[in-house]
Amino acid sequence: MKINDIPVIDTDVLVIGGGTAGPMAAVTAKEQDPNLRVILLEKANVKRSGAISMGMDGLNNAVVPGHATPEQYVKEITIANDGIVHQPALMAYATRSFPMIEKLDSWGVHFQKDETGDYDMKKVHHLGTYVLPMPEGHNVKKILYRRLRRNRVEIENRYTATRLLKDPDGNIAGMIGVNTRTAEPIIIRAKAVIMATGAAGRIGLPTSGYLFGTYENPANNGDGHAMAYHAGADLANLECFQVNPLLKDYNGPACAYVTGPLGGFTANAYGERFIECDYWSGQMMLEFFKELESGTGPVFLKLDHLAEETIQEIETVLHTNERPTRGRFHEGRDVNYRERMVEMHISEIGFCSGHSASGVWTDETGATTVPGLYCAGDMASVAHNYMLGAFVYGQICGESAVAFAKSRSEPQLDEGFIINELERIQAPMKRADGIPPEQMEYKVRRLVNDYLQPPKVTKKMEIGLERILAVREDLPQLCARDPHELLRAMEVQSIIDCAEMAARASLYRTESRWGLYHYRVDYPDQDDSEWFYHSRLFKDENGQMAHGKRPVADYLVSLGEEKDAYRKMRVQKAANE
Amino acid sequence: MKTYDDPELQAIAVKLTSDDPGIRRVAVMDLVDSGEPEAVELVILALQDPDTNVRQEAAKVVDEFEATDMADALIAALSDSDEVVRNSAAHALADLKDPAAAEPLLEALESSTDSFVVSGILRALKPLRNSGAQRPALKRLGDASAQVRREAVGVLGWLKQPENLPALVEAAQHDVDPDVRRAATGALVYASPQQVGPALVSLLKDEHWQVRCEAAISIGKLNHQAAAPALMDATKDELWQVREKAVDALGTLGVIEAIPVLGECSKDAMSNLRKAAIGALGTIAHNDGRPYVVTALDDPDPDVRKLARWAISKLDAAA
Amino acid sequence: MPIANHHSSVPVIVDEDKCIADKGCTVCIDVCPLDVLWINEETGKAHMKYDECWYCMPCEADCPTDAVTVNIPYLLR
Repeated sequence: MKINDIPVIDTDVLVIGGGTAGPMAAVTAKEQDPNLRVILLEKANVKRSGAISMGMDGLNNAVVPGHATPEQYVKEITIANDGIVHQPALMAYATRSFPMIEKLDSWGVHFQKDETGDYDMKKVHHLGTYVLPMPEGHNVKKILYRRLRRNRVEIENRYTATRLLKDPDGNIAGMIGVNTRTAEPIIIRAKAVIMATGAAGRIGLPTSGYLFGTYENPANNGDGHAMAYHAGADLANLECFQVNPLLKDYNGPACAYVTGPLGGFTANAYGERFIECDYWSGQMMLEFFKELESGTGPVFLKLDHLAEETIQEIETVLHTNERPTRGRFHEGRDVNYRERMVEMHISEIGFCSGHSASGVWTDETGATTVPGLYCAGDMASVAHNYMLGAFVYGQICGESAVAFAKSRSEPQLDEGFIINELERIQAPMKRADGIPPEQMEYKVRRLVNDYLQPPKVTKKMEIGLERILAVREDLPQLCARDPHELLRAMEVQSIIDCAEMAARASLYRTESRWGLYHYRVDYPDQDDSEWFYHSRLFKDENGQMAHGKRPVADYLVSLGEEKDAYRKMRVQKAANE
Repeated sequence: MKTYDDPELQAIAVKLTSDDPGIRRVAVMDLVDSGEPEAVELVILALQDPDTNVRQEAAKVVDEFEATDMADALIAALSDSDEVVRNSAAHALADLKDPAAAEPLLEALESSTDSFVVSGILRALKPLRNSGAQRPALKRLGDASAQVRREAVGVLGWLKQPENLPALVEAAQHDVDPDVRRAATGALVYASPQQVGPALVSLLKDEHWQVRCEAAISIGKLNHQAAAPALMDATKDELWQVREKAVDALGTLGVIEAIPVLGECSKDAMSNLRKAAIGALGTIAHNDGRPYVVTALDDPDPDVRKLARWAISKLDAAA
Repeated sequence: MPIANHHSSVPVIVDEDKCIADKGCTVCIDVCPLDVLWINEETGKAHMKYDECWYCMPCEADCPTDAVTVNIPYLLR
């Protein structure tokens, strides 16, 4: 089959995104049935793409027998998310967490073990023990790549997906995209699609002002969120932004999970701890933010009280994993962990379920609200999933997608839709002059910082939304001089979509919840009577952004006394007085 | 030259016969993208290339393949004249994790004298937990190289065999290298307290602080009640890191007699230690600890205050 | 709207004496998540074509000849 002279590629399962969850989903699909055709599409190159391109220094949420139970984990995540969670999805993660660690271990991923070969779990959170360090975790991507080759997954690197396709019955039917080096379009018809495109991490501007100095890998710019929205899928709790602690100007994580077990901590200008609540939540970020703004701020990572051997251990881990240019950054500023504390700050906003709870609505089978479309990793709505959750949901989605693909025949494609989308893709390169994607991107991200960065104020967000919509009006002037700029031009359209979603979702929930993530100055209180719901954001039948409430499913695990224990660990008032 | 059905692999094979070592090197890098199982043969071939750069490249990519097929080649590469090749081979061997690899590894161990090679083989044997590794590992505990002794401890720790405990205790107490002592101290946790208790207690006074920390951790893991007085002494160690681990262990052991010394620690200048002390008092949950916990409710450090609130709830529940 | 070019100091440096892109090597170009490294048509060697760097290091770490150095972008330094 050809459309506009472009050959249509057929596959049983299509995976979009080759970072963490995507490869696991593709490998799982092949493990389920080696005869199925499985294509993994990646905007960069699978070898080094996604949030863990340089590996990972530890698991933050490992539910290992003898150290934590699935029930306890589900309880803690529920409490940390102020009750708004889909517990069946958390439970599916929690029960599969340990088998996944065992699987990764057998594949050759290095987890820290004690001298007898048992997992060397560390207690960082106050109630349960969930942290499993990976000081030699830099080989994760290599191992995934090995598995992809071994299972004969077909890999298409340097293609960015731009829209999902649906059949006349509303089931998923594939996707359309474009090569980032040649600008050649690609059409894939698929019986089932798994999206694993990561966080929407390029919505706001980092403090450095460098467009690509984001907390998240900037390739994770929210393409998947935008595509799911345009395909009619529900997105959930987008107002629950991701805001993370990180080094000032350098987008390296705060490393509480690395330094905490070794005695390091987050301190104020006087070298004193100030965080009252447990690590997992927006509540912690609110306390962090308040300290930053206070007379005892800013905030620092304090390691200068540790022994030389310990500092060397920390340097080895931090300077070889995840963000290895960190050492070079410190060197340039003459910062030595032994001699002084390291200045910290908060990140720009984003959508990322790895650390918070927002994303494309995903149930315990990985299913979205579009039949045949599954989501895993940072873009799916399962709260606090981190890297291990991406692997687990990659696996779950792989299983679910195979079952769906086998249950149906070849999907019917909507040629008219495809032709329109081809026009949208080709338009920026047809313009000789206009607005380059970089300028448009800077503008919309600057607006996000000015108007949407919490604390959120209604009037400011309304102005922000108006200004973001005005940028959208400029899209007919968007121009690209080469295929690379075309990639950025397609990305900026997703960024605008995400910025609009961030504004509208934040305006919809008229209460404060999740600490700093959704702290509305003019609605400072949590209002369970009106807002004990997941908020929905979706495209309605008129093509407009619409909202709704999704009831919170009955809890599998009741909260009981841990709720009180957690409350005792909180500051009493969320407001920024 | 062997020919391959897969056209990409065949093209790589041809490039590997080039006279230009630069092209051979790039061919080795291309092997990584081949899904063909036969690609391994070409990697093995490249590991024997006359050019050092090509061998280095091959060694760098070995961990992209299922290493079982090349255990022999990797063991041979452990003796390569180039350090990069040797290192990569050692890492790849450690990732083998295939029980079938144990035999060639053990054979190679028998005949190896170079300490780098021996360490690499021992590290590869460790996760396999093959009982055949016991005898050579015990022998290597007496090796001149600290690195070899450290890896031998690892092999024995993972084997978890009771009969190796005396040798591990000996290493923990008397090895001249602190890292070997620390590793051996950590390995003792598979024993019963009766078997290794006195040794662990003596290790609380090791000259190196990390060994003392490890001893306190091991005592806690083993719930070695008889160590309580020694742990109480260790709460006065010159280093707060050791005091912290001793305090943790006293909490785990639930030592009521330790409440006064824990109370002292709850007033220490180092907040990490105050935190540990209040945590331990909460775990012990005995009313004698209450005054210290109540005082800590006003500690300047929020982590300490938080744990104090938690400890109060434990004390109330126990009352 | 007409478009102007502006200069930008880029963080990734390639040592052309060490680079073996002319032998067919494209490792740094392949692994870049943002696709900012390209072959310089004039020299046949790799170079940073777009100032859109996450300073994530795979290009440096994976380069077979240690030809690539990732610096911290000036705005962050």
